[in-house]
Amino acid sequence: MIPMFMRLKVSRNPNGHGLLLPVFLVWILLFALMVVLLPFVLIAALVTWRSGQGKWLLLTYPLLVSVLFHLSGLYVEIEHSEQNILIAFL
Amino acid sequence: MNEERKKILEMLQQGKITVEEAEKLLAALLSPEESKSEAQKSTCKYLRVVVEPGPQSEDRDRVNIRVPMKLIRAGLKWAAFVPKHAHSSINKALHEKGIEMDFAQITSEDIEELVSQLDDLTVEVEGKEKVRICCE
Repeated sequence: MIPMFMRLKVSRNPNGHGLLLPVFLVWILLFALMVVLLPFVLIAALVTWRSGQGKWLLLTYPLLVSVLFHLSGLYVEIEHSEQNILIAFL
Repeated sequence: MNEERKKILEMLQQGKITVEEAEKLLAALLSPEESKSEAQKSTCKYLRVVVEPGPQSEDRDRVNIRVPMKLIRAGLKWAAFVPKHAHSSINKALHEKGIEMDFAQITSEDIEELVSQLDDLTVEVEGKEKVRICCE
């Protein structure tokens, strides 16, 4: 399932609370942008079809969606002596 | 239960073959479709990479990364976008690292097989830092 929220923490204190970002708003904007760009992508794909790159251009859409939908569960935590970084897709 | 399967289990019971041999024989009996579906029944959901400071390390840096296997599969599909003219550079870089492999020959099936085999992967390195890579 596509992640709805992202937990982000960049702090010096390991016990500090992070931000809960509503990434679904980003996805809405991104999907709207993808829909707007779709006719241009289709034209570019048709123009470059003979060179073989058109097929790959068309594939970017499903591949991008597939990556976004599987981001859920990604967890990156880095504890450094000076700073702690946490990125988690929920 | 079919005849071959029964025979293998009888041989195991009689001690003619070991458990590992029986396992191999039973796996060989599966059709390619069956073995493929068996491979897809992977229990591994995440790939975990943990880097912790070792006992003699002065650094207190820690890294804890959990990557969903589905994301790895989806990300690897982007490998198809590597332009053909870059293949020779990749092959050259691999050769310099002592890996004799033709990048152009890697198919999506190979990648899928590689990812499905990650189930059994556990890497533990203990040096200045403790590194653990495993599936969970």
